[in-house]
Amino acid sequence: MLSQLLASAADGIVLAAIIAVAAMGFTLQFGLTNVLNLSFGSVMTIGGFTAYLANVAGLSAWLGMLLGGVAGGLATIALGRGVLRLYARRRTQLFEMMMVTLGLSLVIDYGLQSISQNAIYGYTVLQASPVRLGPIVLTPIQLFIVLLAIVILVVVEAALKFTKLGKALRATAVEPSLARSCGIQTGRVVLITWTISGFLCGLAGVVYIISTQSVDYSTGELFLPLIIAAAILGGVGSLRGAVVAAVVMGIVTEVVAGFGGAAYSTVAGFAILVVVLLLRPGSVSGGAEDRQLVL
Amino acid sequence: MSVWVFYISTLVIYFGVDLLAGIALNLQFGYAGVVNFGFIVFQAAGAYMAAVVVLGPSGGVASFQQYIFGSRLPFPLDLVAAAVAGAVVSLVIGLFSLRRMRRDYQAAVLLIVSLIALQVVSADVPLFNGSNGLTGVTWPLGQIVGVTATGAPVIYAAWTLAIAAIVFAAVYWLSKSPWGRSLRAMRDHEDAASAMGLNITSLRLQVFVIGGAIAGLSGGLLVEYIGAWSPGAWGYAETFVIFTAIFVGGVGNYRGVIVGVLLVPVIFLELPRFLPAVGYPGLIDSLQWVTIGLAWMLCLLFRPRGILPEKRMEVTKPAGVPGPAVVPSEGGA
Repeated sequence: MLSQLLASAADGIVLAAIIAVAAMGFTLQFGLTNVLNLSFGSVMTIGGFTAYLANVAGLSAWLGMLLGGVAGGLATIALGRGVLRLYARRRTQLFEMMMVTLGLSLVIDYGLQSISQNAIYGYTVLQASPVRLGPIVLTPIQLFIVLLAIVILVVVEAALKFTKLGKALRATAVEPSLARSCGIQTGRVVLITWTISGFLCGLAGVVYIISTQSVDYSTGELFLPLIIAAAILGGVGSLRGAVVAAVVMGIVTEVVAGFGGAAYSTVAGFAILVVVLLLRPGSVSGGAEDRQLVL
Repeated sequence: MSVWVFYISTLVIYFGVDLLAGIALNLQFGYAGVVNFGFIVFQAAGAYMAAVVVLGPSGGVASFQQYIFGSRLPFPLDLVAAAVAGAVVSLVIGLFSLRRMRRDYQAAVLLIVSLIALQVVSADVPLFNGSNGLTGVTWPLGQIVGVTATGAPVIYAAWTLAIAAIVFAAVYWLSKSPWGRSLRAMRDHEDAASAMGLNITSLRLQVFVIGGAIAGLSGGLLVEYIGAWSPGAWGYAETFVIFTAIFVGGVGNYRGVIVGVLLVPVIFLELPRFLPAVGYPGLIDSLQWVTIGLAWMLCLLFRPRGILPEKRMEVTKPAGVPGPAVVPSEGGA
């Protein structure tokens, strides 16, 4: 009983690490631009497919991981600059921007479906024999993923807090027009944020497919709810919040799965979001709709 | 019966079903401003319910599939059950998702609900036979008359259109009533509507449940024709076909909804099914979805209010009252 609980909790931490990597990227982007980017999952899939192709081309899995992140960053910049800017220039409302990103995700997902011939591709790399710590059984790559999430949290938090760019980013997120009149090039800040968050998104796509050992066109789409839930739960723009929310959701999901409710494990993860919505709607409403679009 | 009769009737049936869905979604989104990104779940709820109350007790003739609520209800009750299922599911979902929060969060929560529902139904086999879905659904009304849905598609098409027309008339009347006007007031200015004494949460829930019931009915009609229902039929993207139809036609405009439903689901998604196959099987399907996504994005870019936008509601100044005539501004943000 207890050992089962511990084993499930350990799996939960691994899942949480994957959610956390993606949710940190998501919340960074969301906190700055205020666009609820529903094409985030599709960019994850792009990162996953890039790593798969790199693997087919004979590159090492670590390089594939890096390339996946780079592909995510490039795709995010292309979408942000090429597509979302178009709408921002037409004074599209925040809410309609979300709809635009949804259309984008349809185009990317089903574009990938037509290119990938709607097949599921196996991706088994970096699989090694598991390490046993009492009841907890983890593979080295799972430990690596957890470590990666922690490193990203520390590095990005530190960068936000101590570097000039981090200060500029926080200033832009709070009040873009004031930041602009203080001489901050908000356009550049947004571009750099797109890059970082896209990189994290692509990276999350790769670690996710390493963990599930397969990739197909809907990989990111099915993972997106967890990311959004973690970002909303953790408070928009808060990296630490996103990580804490990811840990809670990851552990709940895996514990429910471990105790026989596999079909309902994800539901349990989301039940937390629902409970928070019911008990404390104010904490999620995030100060109304008067936030402005920053692009 | 020629192939063409079957083909045209099938398209008419899809038109009727999608029109019902379009009316329901337009009431929720166009009139009340509720962004129901989980719309397809309510259609699916109706379809599953209609299927299990037609299939008979679980373990009988159709013992190769397992499901709950298995029974054999006579004619009007199957569609009533479908509508009730849609209404009950939307009541449950609406109770937690329609609270006051940012509109984009609300939309995201409903989208999440849609994805989760799909996962649960696919994974929990005893519920509705998992990802294989239910098959062998018949048409109870047809059995009374002595025909089957696919055997007499013209009759089924007429039946679908009749129901769609009745619901259309009812919803049209509702939306022109004071209740419909309060929906638009809520959409255009929630705080002002609330200050006028409208109960926003309750109004939202009402429109959500009514829309859910219509969606359930449309699902029931659809499943009794095609005879099968599985998670493949209600992916999250299906919601956006209906949304695109409303966007293309015109948000909050009934003629627009009819035009949109003709253009998008019928012409885009159904006609190509009868075209010769190109490439590997499934390529045309994927490309259709890409087209839907592009149409959706282009609409938002060039005609955010649709081809036939909602008419401005003119309110003339009552005689003897000083000041300018009040002309409420058009559309929500």
